[in-house]
Amino acid sequence: MIKAENIHKSFGDLNVLNGIDMEVRRGEVVVLIGVSGSGKSTFLRCLNFLELTNEGVITIDGKQVNQKKDNLAKIRAEVGMVFQHFNLFPHKTVLENVMEAPLMVKKMDKVQVKKMAHEILQKVGLSEKAEVYPNKLSGGQKQRVAIARALAMQPKVLLFDEPTSALDPELVGEVLQVMQNLAEEGMTMIVVTHEMKFAKNVADRVIMLDEGVIIEDSDPDTFFNRSTNERTLQFLEMVDV
Amino acid sequence: MPEFLLTFYDVFKNTYKGFLQAGLLTIEITAIAIVIGTVLGVIFALMKISNSKVLQTIANLYITLIRGTPLIVQIMFLYFGITSIIVLDNFWAGAIALGVHNGAYIAEIFRGSIQGIDKGQREASLALGMNSSLTMRRIVFPQALRRAIPPLGNQFIITLKDSSLVYVIGVSELFGLANRVAASNFKQFETFLVVGLYYLILVLIFSALLKWYENKLDVDK
Ligand SMILES: Nc1ncnc2c1ncn2[C@@H]1O[C@H](COP(=O)(O)OP(=O)(O)OP(=O)(O)O)[C@@H](O)[C@H]1O
Ligand SMILES: [Mg+2]
Repeated sequence: MIKAENIHKSFGDLNVLNGIDMEVRRGEVVVLIGVSGSGKSTFLRCLNFLELTNEGVITIDGKQVNQKKDNLAKIRAEVGMVFQHFNLFPHKTVLENVMEAPLMVKKMDKVQVKKMAHEILQKVGLSEKAEVYPNKLSGGQKQRVAIARALAMQPKVLLFDEPTSALDPELVGEVLQVMQNLAEEGMTMIVVTHEMKFAKNVADRVIMLDEGVIIEDSDPDTFFNRSTNERTLQFLEMVDV
Repeated sequence: MPEFLLTFYDVFKNTYKGFLQAGLLTIEITAIAIVIGTVLGVIFALMKISNSKVLQTIANLYITLIRGTPLIVQIMFLYFGITSIIVLDNFWAGAIALGVHNGAYIAEIFRGSIQGIDKGQREASLALGMNSSLTMRRIVFPQALRRAIPPLGNQFIITLKDSSLVYVIGVSELFGLANRVAASNFKQFETFLVVGLYYLILVLIFSALLKWYENKLDVDK
């Protein structure tokens, strides 16, 4: 579904990504972990072209992307992203947040979009908040709206960058639950997270990033119980699973 | 009643009809200047934050020239400049000059408020597949506009007061009329006191409208 080959990215003199190869199949859930500064966010941002790579090839659903010539907006419409700080549009209601992109980008019929938006909000458990502005929501609710907003574009892949890191501990569960439901429905997802329980229970694969390269890529059982990689073991000790 | 108050009342009574007319002219010039200034302000703010060096340079040049020279010089310059090319009465020449002047200040207000919007807003919008112009129009600018309203209101009040300077090209707005009245009745002190009060009343009304609008926006959200 999405394939990255030999991705290099640097900011000035700082080499952040040093040749990443990764392929995620349709319906697969991949959890991406690594210490702070290892390049997780940068890699996700490269996957939807919020950052442009210095080198490497990204292929989405069989189409190789030319980041100079292709219409990147069109490609981003197929790759959803959920941010750590939600980034909801504060001047729009929850419903308007969800409806905005289908209306403006896909130019879908308003009645149809509204119906779809209500269905999606129901799915994330926020039907009764449709007419509310984001500043009236809890963090967990905000993040669920952000997920709904991304889903409304019916993306082929959903990228999550630490979706629960900004939440109070008691609100983490409701967001993870929504993500787990999505995974069970077959959504293709790449998730950067420190929630090791989610990685164990939901991920098909766990990928460990270190200094801009992948140092381990295995199923959760192997990763958490049988890894021999020294950096992985160090990391696991640190986050105490 | 003290002598001064009597004269003051006299001047007021004899001139209020004329000043009503002139006040209308002041409001018209201010309104036109605000519209022109806001349109120019948006355009030059967008040029300034664009990726194009050429557009940035043009915007910087405009802002530097306007901010670096007195308004009264700009009015004279534009008046004689414009009227040497096309036929234009002094009312319109003055309003346009005031608008062009304001555009530079309003551009800086918009630039600041656009750049003050969290980067995450733009990224979230782009990530949804909205292109740059949709993102600006639907997501960033509406939020920037809300933030810009207090400083814009300030600037509009300055515009109202600055409109007095178009008297130099012979427009009979409040200040222009006050000049002529004072020259004929020799009651300079009372006349300028009267006109000062008219400006004050206009500014207070305008400020109240702005406050009301700001509150309304707050409640909406
Ligand atoms: N726009 C940028 N300009 C310059 N340096 C950047 C930029 N974005 C990221 N970096 C640097 O790249 C490195 C990797 O950052 P990145 O955000 O990808 O790490 P991360 O793995 O997501 O870390 P964290 O767990 O803290 O979120 C860091 O050293 C960071 O300072
Ligand atoms: Mg990060």
